[in-house]
Amino acid sequence: MATPSAAGLGRRLRAWLPRIMPVRWSRYNPSYLEPEAKKELYQKPLEELTDEEREQMELKAVRPIKAAPPTLSSSVFSDPMISKFTNMMMKSGNKVLARSLMSQTLEAIKRKQLEKYHKAPENEKETIECNPYVIFHQALKNCQPIIGLSNITKGGKTYQVPVPLTDNRKRFLAMKWMITECRENKHRRMMMPEKLSQELLLAFNNEGPVIKKKHVLHKMAEANRAYAHFRWW
Amino acid sequence: QLDRGCALHTAARAGLSSVPTRDVPAERPRAVFHTSESDPAKHTEQHEGRLYSIPLEEVKAVFPHGLPHRFQQQIQTFHEARVMVRRPALELLAYLRSSNLAHPAVRYVIYGERGTGKTMTLCHVVHYCWRQGWLVLHVPDAHLWVKNCKELLQSSYNKDRLDQPLQASVWLKNFKTSNERFLREMKTQKKYTWGKRESTEEGRPLGEVVEQGLARVRSASDAVGVLLREVRLQSHRGSCRLLVAVDSVNALWGQTTLRREDKSPVSPEELTLVHNLRKMLRNDWSGGAIVTTLSQTGSLFKPSSAYTPHELLGKEGFDALDPFVPIPVGNYSAKEFESCYGYYLERKWLQHEKAHTEDGKAELQFLSGSNPRQLDRLAGPL
Repeated sequence: MATPSAAGLGRRLRAWLPRIMPVRWSRYNPSYLEPEAKKELYQKPLEELTDEEREQMELKAVRPIKAAPPTLSSSVFSDPMISKFTNMMMKSGNKVLARSLMSQTLEAIKRKQLEKYHKAPENEKETIECNPYVIFHQALKNCQPIIGLSNITKGGKTYQVPVPLTDNRKRFLAMKWMITECRENKHRRMMMPEKLSQELLLAFNNEGPVIKKKHVLHKMAEANRAYAHFRWW
Repeated sequence: QLDRGCALHTAARAGLSSVPTRDVPAERPRAVFHTSESDPAKHTEQHEGRLYSIPLEEVKAVFPHGLPHRFQQQIQTFHEARVMVRRPALELLAYLRSSNLAHPAVRYVIYGERGTGKTMTLCHVVHYCWRQGWLVLHVPDAHLWVKNCKELLQSSYNKDRLDQPLQASVWLKNFKTSNERFLREMKTQKKYTWGKRESTEEGRPLGEVVEQGLARVRSASDAVGVLLREVRLQSHRGSCRLLVAVDSVNALWGQTTLRREDKSPVSPEELTLVHNLRKMLRNDWSGGAIVTTLSQTGSLFKPSSAYTPHELLGKEGFDALDPFVPIPVGNYSAKEFESCYGYYLERKWLQHEKAHTEDGKAELQFLSGSNPRQLDRLAGPL
């Protein structure tokens, strides 16, 4: 690590390493900065930058930058939620297939909605949403549970205790339920994009099996609210 | 929505400013890349880069088979069929207009890289000829005749050849839909015997030959052969003008993936359909034209980088088709790209918010490389 600053900087910034290492950790020296993919930041003239951004730009001149991961994209069409969903749909690292399935799903949603749009009378046309990204985000938002259950063992017995969920966990559960539902409950010959587009459209209208699963979870949590005080965090 | 229209107006105007706008109403920016001229006979360089629409009833009549699958889906989603007028098609139409029908049929071969619009150019020419009253013999994809054939029968007419009843009957059904008028008017010149008890007399309308092929599926390939022969003789005599439009013609001179029951490979000339079609593609008849397309996409045993006539046809095919007029088809020019992009925006096909911005458009142009198929695939999920 040939940093231009003195060895003292390296020693100060080297993290304290605990004896037990967690599974997901980074080998990068803390002096490494994250790569910036957005073009707008570099196209802004110097005067418009705020003080923090100016400091950040100066820091980039001296500090090394981490390697960009393959999922980082500078495209204007890239969406982090879609990438996450694609990764969850991927099997044995076949990202090409997962991505093509995702694009076919979005196209299928768009086609169905456009056909409905063209057939509808004039006054109903504004109510029909044709943007597949809006439908995708709204559907997943509708599928997110508000409260979850966790197993807590007390006095030898395991109880299902209602517990608040973090945003990440909610998003993960919504996506996981959607993918499992589409993989399991479909006809053998039906293609994944078709089934996924069907389920996403149902979830967008707050119908369908995934929303039902969320409601079942909420009801269980409501039924077990007596054990809520078992939670200590 | 209003500023989207204005931005489109200025952007498209910049691209199409050299074109006189005599058929464009000034208030509607959408019509800058559309043209109301739906008769291909009247298409000139002024219409280059614009989209003309084919009425849906005509689409069903002219193209029972032959349109690419993605285009058929697009027709269903947008409820209209819009085809872009491009330079190779205009060139071909000019040649057809000025061709002398007394001379032997000229062969045109449309070639180009993958996804550049060869099949759509062929469809434009087919529409023009149909409108002009020609008899159109459209073979949508010759590759379908040399692969994935479930039933191969030994031909009763010639012991060495093999019949394909399913493919032949499907083709006859589609031929009937587009050419009913000719099948009623044209008469057979010879007596044809189909079996011990069935025969078609001389002087009967050709529709009966087609009915025979559809009813007795075993003799469908022979019916196709008879039809091709009759039509060729009649156009040679001058009673009608004939257009032979064959997509993916390189299938006729390549290899097949079909095998006989004893697992020996079948070469294309041993198939009745291919043999008869090859006879049509010879330039020993007059009174029409032969327009063909090369295609690597469905081809067998050809590398994916091959697109020139010599690579795809091989020595045998090139010698059989030589002399021909080659017509190269390339990617979209800047004007055509603007036109296609504007059409997608207008039909609400590009739904992503960023797709309406200049950055989005530049990214689409860069990622697709102005290739029509890539642009269509990219714009699908957006």
